[in-house]
Amino acid sequence: MIQQQAAVLHETPLIEFKGVSKTYSSGTHALDDINIKINKGEFVFVVGSSGAGKSTFMKLIMREEKPSTGDIFVNGYHLPTMSRKQVPMLRRTMGIVFQDFRLIPTLNVFENVAFAMHVVGASSRDIRKRVSNALNLVGLGQKARSMPAQLSGGEQQRVGLARALVNKPRLIIADEPTGNVDPNMSYEIVELLTEINRRGTTVLMVTHEHQLVRDFAKRVIMIENGKIIADNSDGGLL
Amino acid sequence: MKLRSFKHLLAGGLKNIWANKLMSIASVGILVACMSIIGLAIILEENVNKTLGEIEQQNVIMVYFNDLNSVLYGGADSSVTGSIISSTNDDSSAAVSTTGDKSSSTSSTENAVDASEISQDKYMIHNEQEALDLCEKIRSVPNVASVDFVSSEEGLEKIKQGMLSKQSEYFSFLDGDNPLSSGAKVTMNDLSLFQETLTNIQSIEGVDTIQSQGDVAAKITSIKKGVSIAAYWIIGILLIISLVIVSNTIRVTMYNRKLEISIMKAVGATDWYIRIPFLIEGVTLGLFSALFTTGLLYFIYKAVIGTMKSALSISQVIPYSNFVGLLLGIFAGIGVISGFLSSVVIIGKYLKREGSEFRAI
Repeated sequence: MIQQQAAVLHETPLIEFKGVSKTYSSGTHALDDINIKINKGEFVFVVGSSGAGKSTFMKLIMREEKPSTGDIFVNGYHLPTMSRKQVPMLRRTMGIVFQDFRLIPTLNVFENVAFAMHVVGASSRDIRKRVSNALNLVGLGQKARSMPAQLSGGEQQRVGLARALVNKPRLIIADEPTGNVDPNMSYEIVELLTEINRRGTTVLMVTHEHQLVRDFAKRVIMIENGKIIADNSDGGLL
Repeated sequence: MKLRSFKHLLAGGLKNIWANKLMSIASVGILVACMSIIGLAIILEENVNKTLGEIEQQNVIMVYFNDLNSVLYGGADSSVTGSIISSTNDDSSAAVSTTGDKSSSTSSTENAVDASEISQDKYMIHNEQEALDLCEKIRSVPNVASVDFVSSEEGLEKIKQGMLSKQSEYFSFLDGDNPLSSGAKVTMNDLSLFQETLTNIQSIEGVDTIQSQGDVAAKITSIKKGVSIAAYWIIGILLIISLVIVSNTIRVTMYNRKLEISIMKAVGATDWYIRIPFLIEGVTLGLFSALFTTGLLYFIYKAVIGTMKSALSISQVIPYSNFVGLLLGIFAGIGVISGFLSSVVIIGKYLKREGSEFRAI
């Protein structure tokens, strides 16, 4: 049964790039002829040096940018042709984790997580239940009333993770989530993401920490000079 | 949008005002100042127009009728060559239209003989009923406010009333042979149409001459126009300033809340969801300023009008209660429109910017 479920999860690409190129109006060629598929339930590290094209790759998935050429499908949406009005709907299918946590300093932990649910018009009852669950999952159930400034970097990132999870997205996009936390905490964050992935959510994580990538042995996409130069399913290329 | 989302956003918008209280207070202060000047411009314009309107009503023109006396004593061309009394701007006006040529009024017998020889090619008033009918015709001319018939006897009586008793007694011989023609005192609604109205009256058959003070009318009209134009300019400029103030408040608030906006966008907020708190903030600040200014102007009006009444000898002013609805409407309009436009345009511009929406801070 579990094997059957796993097979289904891996059948349909959640993210698909077909011949995607991106050239900015300044003339910078950020990505060149990208072809890639990321299936449901995968955990993928995206690595590459600064300016390699990782950020553009992520921006295209989040529909912050449109491709210059090519097709992109994410969670069933065709991104190049989708209207501006549809973009919020696409983003409700994904949870985004930022390197700098992006917590609102005037709201407590609970309110920061609930913020994402208010946006989608959830009821107070749902908010109470699901925010508590999300905070328990990231191990911060006891700190719901704390303010962000009272938390460590790792704890703040876990709040960010809870916020990304609370609307039950199909895809988690983590943009260098361990960039501002200490090394021990980095492992905790990736372990949390692994647990979330184990529960069926696709995870796409950008990182510079090669050791982390090696230790967790997941699929790795390496981008350099706007091209995918390696795509390995076990992290071995690093 | 769900009701609970709207309630949440409403609360968010009101919280923003408190969170940015210094900016909010500054905005309300400047808005109140602008609205006060706009309000004062409106109030003063209305009052000046009312006062000038009263002066307009006092600007009486005398219309002399082409009756037998006018023909007998008005010279060969039946026109009036001189007047005993200047009758404009004065309620004591009398229908006095006599010739300046003394020889023509020396003998009524001679004139009576002459009358039989008068050419009948011009319409003439023969009796009081015809004169009253002519008054009706004048009344039907557009822009005519009032027409008061003045018979030749009344005219003579008024002249004599203005004389010393001995002089008056001397002229008693005129009682039996009154040389004055009948006429009417006419007032107008709008002095800017003075000349046009005058021409229309003049063209009526039976009207002989018109005595008026056109220069006063022209001055009143130009003052009214000047006051209105000045008021419109003040109102226009301050409306733009108000819009800029609210826009800047919204802009500052928006930059203060870039973090929140970037998170909202990341979790799938629609553009309107992001805009609504700003809209509520802008509109609330505008409405609060409107209410405050309407109250404040009551006291300013009392003080300003009190000074003006004594300085300019204005007898009556329009009560403030007459303005409350208008001012509140205009101020609320300024507040709502500037709040709405600012949040829609400024936030809209920001939200449409692609490529850096999550990296806003």
